[in-house]
Amino acid sequence: MGSRALLMLTNFNFKTTVSSFGSASNPFFLIKNNLRTRNFSTKTRSSLQPPDLPGLAETARISLAPNEVEEFAPKIGQVIDWFGQLQAVDLDNVEPAIRADTEGDNLREDAPQTFENKEALIASVPSYEEPYIKVPKVLNKE
Amino acid sequence: MKNSSWVLSFPCFEKMLSTIQPPRYLSRFPLRGRTKSRPFHILSSAQPVTKTSFAADQSQILSIRYSLLNRHLSAVELTHSYLNRLKQTEPHINCFLHISDPDKVLKQAQDIDDKIKRNEEVGPLAGVLVAIKDNICTADMPSTGGSYILEGYRPPFDATAVKRLKDLGAIVVGKTNLDEFGMGSTTEASAFKVTANPWDLSRVPGGSSGGSAASVSARQCVVSLGSDTGGSVRQPASFCGVVGLKPTYGRVSRFGLMAYASSLDVIGCFGSSVADTGILLHAISGHDSLDATSSKREVPDFTSQFTSASSLKSRPLEGLRVGLIRETVDAGVDSGVKSAIQGAAAHLEQLGCVLKEVSLPSFSLGLPAYYILASSESSSNLSRYDGVRYGNQASSDELNALYEESRAKGFGSEVKMRILMGTYALSAGYYDAYYKRAQQVRTIIRKSFKAALDENDILISPAAPSAAYKIGEKKNDPLAMYAGDIMTVNVNLAGLPALVLPCGFVEGGAVGLPVGLQIIGAAFDEEKLVKVGHIFEQTLEGYNFVPPLITDVGGASA
Repeated sequence: MGSRALLMLTNFNFKTTVSSFGSASNPFFLIKNNLRTRNFSTKTRSSLQPPDLPGLAETARISLAPNEVEEFAPKIGQVIDWFGQLQAVDLDNVEPAIRADTEGDNLREDAPQTFENKEALIASVPSYEEPYIKVPKVLNKE
Repeated sequence: MKNSSWVLSFPCFEKMLSTIQPPRYLSRFPLRGRTKSRPFHILSSAQPVTKTSFAADQSQILSIRYSLLNRHLSAVELTHSYLNRLKQTEPHINCFLHISDPDKVLKQAQDIDDKIKRNEEVGPLAGVLVAIKDNICTADMPSTGGSYILEGYRPPFDATAVKRLKDLGAIVVGKTNLDEFGMGSTTEASAFKVTANPWDLSRVPGGSSGGSAASVSARQCVVSLGSDTGGSVRQPASFCGVVGLKPTYGRVSRFGLMAYASSLDVIGCFGSSVADTGILLHAISGHDSLDATSSKREVPDFTSQFTSASSLKSRPLEGLRVGLIRETVDAGVDSGVKSAIQGAAAHLEQLGCVLKEVSLPSFSLGLPAYYILASSESSSNLSRYDGVRYGNQASSDELNALYEESRAKGFGSEVKMRILMGTYALSAGYYDAYYKRAQQVRTIIRKSFKAALDENDILISPAAPSAAYKIGEKKNDPLAMYAGDIMTVNVNLAGLPALVLPCGFVEGGAVGLPVGLQIIGAAFDEEKLVKVGHIFEQTLEGYNFVPPLITDVGGASA
C-alpha cells in the first residue's frame, strides 16, 4: 500500500557538509527501516541530545507509567530522528513563516464583553466552591 | 470512458440509486439523472428568485428545499427517513459519539413544517440534517474531541460554524467520531470507538474526521462538518467516496474548534455532491470577531457556479490550466490510485483543460515540517486540558500531581506522544533546529505553490497514496501512518483551499474502494474549485459512489 511509499527528496539543495544522512544523489527515504540504519542523531547534531522521556513528561505534566516509557521511547526516537532530516536542508536566508498568509490585523476592540452562559461555564468545573475553583495544595518543588 | 485500471460498471445504476435515495419521497429527483434534470431556483419568499438555474438532482440540500417549499415532502417525513437509516446503519459503522435525541430532532423538523404551513420564511438550510465532528463545540450536547479527558463535557457555547448552520435552519443530528483531538489518520485513535468504512467494514474510514466522512457516505445525514489540520477532511473523503472541502486558512472561523495546531487548523465540509459541499461552505464562511485570523474578505455565492449538466458546453473548461503534481504520482503511490488520477486528468482534458505536469521539489519536506509544527503547537494548545476547569479530574492531594494524573488518565497514547515530541522540539536550544526550520520549510512550500499556481489555474493530485486500508494495519507504526498524509499536509502549510471528490475505484472490498481526486487552488479561490469540481462530477459517467452498506442494511425500508 501507499504508506510503504518511498518518498524521496529530489532536486533539493542540501548542505554539503552534512554527509551522513542523505544528499541529492543519495536520497533518504521515509520508511523506518532506513531510519534505523541511518545513525546520524548524535554524530551530525552533537548539540542536540536525543529525547529524555521522563524529563519531557515532567515538563509536559504527564505522568508516564513504566510500560508507556518502554512503548513510547522507540517510537518517539524514531520520529525525532526522522524530524532530523530537516537539518540537512539548506535554509540559510529563508524567512520563517508563522502561518499561511492571512489578512491579519483583524483584532477586535480590546473591551470586556459579558459571556451570557456563565452558569454552564461554572457547572463544568469539576471542583467548585462559590466563588472559587478549588484545587489541592500547591507545592512548588521546582 | 475512464482510463482506470479497474472500472466498475453498474448495469443497474438507476435502479440502485432509486433504492438508496435517502428520502424515498425524493425519488422523483434522481441524484444524477442527467437527461431529465429540471431547472431549479433557490426558493425564498424574502430573496427574489435568482437568475441562476440548475438542476435539483445535483444537490440534496437544494432538492430538500424544493420539496419542502413545494409541499412535496414534510421536514418530519424527511427526518424520519434519515433517522431510520441512521438507526439501521450505525451498529455496523459506529460514526457517532453522540446522537441527538430523536424527539428533539423531530420537534425541530415539526417547527419547520409549521412555519412553512404558515407561509413563514425558513432558512436556506431548513430541514437539512447535519453531523458535527466532536472536536467542534456544540452548546446543547457533549463535545469530547474523542478524548477521555473531556468525556461528558458540554461546552457553554456553540462554535461559530455550528451557530451559523443552526441560524440557517440546519438540524444537528449528532457528534461524529474522530482520532483524539484530530491526531490520527484512521479514527482508530478515538478514546471511545472505532468507526468502520461503509464500503468495507473491515477497513478504516480515514481520519481524523472519519465519523463525519462515513456518516455522509452512509447517508446518515445530508452534510457534515469536519476539521483539517493536515488532511483530516480530504483523506477520509477519499476513503469514503464523498466530497470533502478544505477551505483557505482564514475563510471559516475557528472559534469553538478545539485547537490542535492553530497555524494549520481549519473547519471543513463534507457532502455527497460538490454543490452541497459548496453550499455548506458558504453557510459557515466569513469574518467572525471571535477569531482574529478569520478573513474579512467577501464570501462569493458558490451556487452561482452550478450549471445543469444538460446545459454544459461540450468543452466547458476550455483553456483551464491544470498542473498535475509530479511528486504525487511517483514511486510509492498505489498503482490503482495512480491510474484513477490519470483517468481523472484525462477526463479534465476532455472537458477542455490544458494539462501539464508540475514539479514541487520541496514536496516531501512538507511531511516532517508538518509533524514538527503540528506536534509543537499541540504541546502548547493541549496544556489547557489540566483537569481543573472542565473535563475529567484525577484525585490528588497536590496540584502538580493532579495535572499529571488527570492528563495521564485523560489522554491516549498518540496524543501523549505528540505532546512529548512537541515538548522536545520546543525545548530551549532545540527550537532553532526544529520549529524554526519547519517554519522556514513552510516559507519554501508556500513559495513553490505560489509559483505553480501562477502558471496553472488549479493543481491536481491524489488525496492519499492508497485507498482505505484495513483496521489495525498501521496502528502501531507511527511513521507508516504519517506517510499517508504526504498528499495533504503541504496544502495546510501553504494555507490553500482544496477540494477532494471521488473519481474512480481500486480493487478491494465487495465492490471496490473509492479514490479521491484532490484539486488545489489559490488562496480564497474556493469558487474555482467548486466550479471545476461540479463540472467534473456532473460529467463523470459510469460510477456510483453510494456504498453497498446502504442497500444491504439501510436503504429500502427507510
